[in-house]
Amino acid sequence: MTEKTSPTVNSFVSQNRGLILSLLALVVLPFIVGLFEGASLGAVWQNESGTSKFVQGLAIEIFILAIYALSYDLIFGITGLLSFGHSMFFAAGAYLSGILLKSFDLSLGMTLVWVLVIAVVNAFLFGIVLPRVKGITFALVTLGLGSVFHIVIMSREVGDYTGADVGLQAVPVPEFINPATHRLTFYFVAIVLLLVVYFIYKRFVDSPTGRVCVAIRENEDRAKMLGFNTFYFKIVALVLSSVTAALAGTLHTLYQPIVSPNTAGLGFTVTALLIILIGGVGTLNGALVGAAVYRLLDFGLRRYLGESASFINGAIYILIVLYLPFGIVGTWRMQSAKITEGRKRLLKLLKLEK
Amino acid sequence: MINVIRKNLVLWLTILVLVIFFVMAARGMDTEDWVITLLRGLSVGAVTFLVASGFSLIFGLLDVLNLAHGTMFMIGAYVAWTVYVRPDTFVDLLAPGLLLVSGFMLSGLWDRLREGIRIDGFLRKALPWMGLMLAAVIVVLVFRRFPITIWDVGNYAQSPVTYSFMADQGLLVLPEGEPFEEISPAVAAIGLMAGSLIAGFSLSLFKKSTQANLKVGWRSYLGFFMVALVGLAALFLNDGLTAFLTGINSNWLFFLAVLSAVSFGILLGGVMESTLIRPLYVRPIYQLMLTIGLSAIGIEVVRAIWGRPEFVMPKPAMFSGTGEGCPATTLADLVQYHCSTIELLDGRIRVYNEIFIPVVGLVVLITVWMLLQRSKLGMIIRAGVQDGEMVEALGINVRRVFTLVFALGVGLAALGGALAAPSMGLSNVMGESLLLNALIALAIGGLTSYPGAALGSILVGLLQQFIIKYGAIGIPIPFTEIIFKPTPPLVPASTVLLMVIILLLMPNGLLGRKE
Repeated sequence: MTEKTSPTVNSFVSQNRGLILSLLALVVLPFIVGLFEGASLGAVWQNESGTSKFVQGLAIEIFILAIYALSYDLIFGITGLLSFGHSMFFAAGAYLSGILLKSFDLSLGMTLVWVLVIAVVNAFLFGIVLPRVKGITFALVTLGLGSVFHIVIMSREVGDYTGADVGLQAVPVPEFINPATHRLTFYFVAIVLLLVVYFIYKRFVDSPTGRVCVAIRENEDRAKMLGFNTFYFKIVALVLSSVTAALAGTLHTLYQPIVSPNTAGLGFTVTALLIILIGGVGTLNGALVGAAVYRLLDFGLRRYLGESASFINGAIYILIVLYLPFGIVGTWRMQSAKITEGRKRLLKLLKLEK
Repeated sequence: MINVIRKNLVLWLTILVLVIFFVMAARGMDTEDWVITLLRGLSVGAVTFLVASGFSLIFGLLDVLNLAHGTMFMIGAYVAWTVYVRPDTFVDLLAPGLLLVSGFMLSGLWDRLREGIRIDGFLRKALPWMGLMLAAVIVVLVFRRFPITIWDVGNYAQSPVTYSFMADQGLLVLPEGEPFEEISPAVAAIGLMAGSLIAGFSLSLFKKSTQANLKVGWRSYLGFFMVALVGLAALFLNDGLTAFLTGINSNWLFFLAVLSAVSFGILLGGVMESTLIRPLYVRPIYQLMLTIGLSAIGIEVVRAIWGRPEFVMPKPAMFSGTGEGCPATTLADLVQYHCSTIELLDGRIRVYNEIFIPVVGLVVLITVWMLLQRSKLGMIIRAGVQDGEMVEALGINVRRVFTLVFALGVGLAALGGALAAPSMGLSNVMGESLLLNALIALAIGGLTSYPGAALGSILVGLLQQFIIKYGAIGIPIPFTEIIFKPTPPLVPASTVLLMVIILLLMPNGLLGRKE
């Protein structure tokens, strides 16, 4: 560090060293992969197809999953609301943006505005039931609302717009961000979005509002006793989460150009739950790590084992649940003191440090 | 009287509205239509109830939301199919299965032997692991050479679909049983039993020594000898047993199939609870994740063994008569010709689907209700649902009751699957849709209430069938000319909407306990 940098910048860098390093790694990743394959940097820049483009695609999927998992972590891990209808937030964003782009020929900006509006409406739909039901009943009501959405999307009555059980096909994507021709742009847009969402969330959790959300998770009655109207705080968390998930959905539509009805099903909510369980519930970094682990594991298993991948997947989840209950990031945080101590002892042994 | 009504005003109003709704729905169609729809609704409701009741018992007592319950339902159906259509495979699998279980029946003896061991330190810790590995090696070595006559998922002519079709047409020819080639049956039996005994002992070694003077009851030995004897009989009298099973009346075979499915469910439930769920009582959400993982694994296993295509289990002879005198118009005809359908009010009613299944549902409802209300176990279960810690404090071994209830719940789900196999058919996704139905039924009726599970299941079944019927007739929307015809995929949405409305009115469901 040079002397000119202010102490706040300094502490920010030292606190987020891992994040900055991985960000740098992600920025150079497409080029490095391209170099390994023998393609020139220019070729990667020009989006010529090859391993680099493929890796970018995989990374984009991970970023989208990470944004989605972050939004679930906010309401489940931070606020402590168990919702089984979370995929509805995602699917609403995905379907709405696809339909607006395809059937109504709106511009991307207008589409985003509409997606945000509908996301807020969605959050309030879940919010209406909040004062009445708690705990497992809330999970069931949200499961119900989510399945109604899923069923309606799959039905033939709205099939002209949603494509019924085949899914929404061939969404026209604006040229400047088209993942087929401008995938590198898309890659960086996704990184920036993920980063923005992550920092907003981090700020939110550290803000007074976020602190109350954590208090609600720990003990709602106590939070009420302290004079907080917990309903408002839950609504705020739901709205923020819904908007983020809808954004992730829009990104998904833009990247895939198709939307499958599976994104609205219970399975997709469970995906989010699995991701944050792998990463660590209530730790925002956990969602990022978990998304990467989940997608890469799934990809690898499907590639090398084919059909039986889901069997191995299930077994791995059971092992994680039984033996790694705090997830990767949670366990790391708990053990980090021991790890630091161990490293010091190792360095001393090797006479690198006194 | 007034007080009773005023106390539960919302409940009575809701029930009144539902009754009026159903009466109006029934008035909209012809008499035979609504009778059939009602019976179909009861049939769906009965199957849903079998899953929902077990689910609610487990959730009430153990606080475990067992999302693998639908998969257990599916496994029950597939096991029943195997016994019913392929008795030879069933007998072939019965022998190694029972011999493997036998060693674990002697847990009392193992506990006593463990007290006699006087080693400490590393060896004591390593001993159980070494024992387990040894047992696994023995079992794998023997089992690889064990001949099992089974269908072939990859070959269409020998796939479950074909066998099911042939059995339905009465043309079923079971393939020749494979003989023992590489090892003699005696070696196989000794190997499997030795593996099982070693594994049972090793598992018991994981527990710490209690220094207590344990007594071994004669029941423990009796259970072991019974299981081992039946296993050995199935091994050495294989051909005779198969011939016997194929020879007997298909009604008895069906009964045996249902019984095997229920026993398998109970066994599976007991093993699941005592090995996987028990360590997680302190972390509720993780149980949820565990059951989701188990459900994924279960579906994959079923796909690997029985394949992906759907097929239907043939109905037993008692419900499949079609020839002379059918469809029956009187009760005497029905008893005499075993008709598959009867004529009632100009409509045809399938005996198995619309009469037999609801009757079984009713029998199970009453049996379990009696068990809960009149037996000591039932008393403990009800007390545990109210306040588990208190029951434990009174010196009752709640853990043991937990295992029993979990096993019972999974057994009920397997019974539902076995009954649904001839009417709904077998597919890889049958569990998921039924689990959603059961969840909705429970949410409507009250999550931990046993009568609530029955009421909710019936409501869900009736509503679904009425909406399906109205999909053909069309619902005139008031004040407009539009006639709305809901397509079948929209049907589940109606029950979900009912659930959401009822939960908003009464957050604990219709008959749930107020908190």
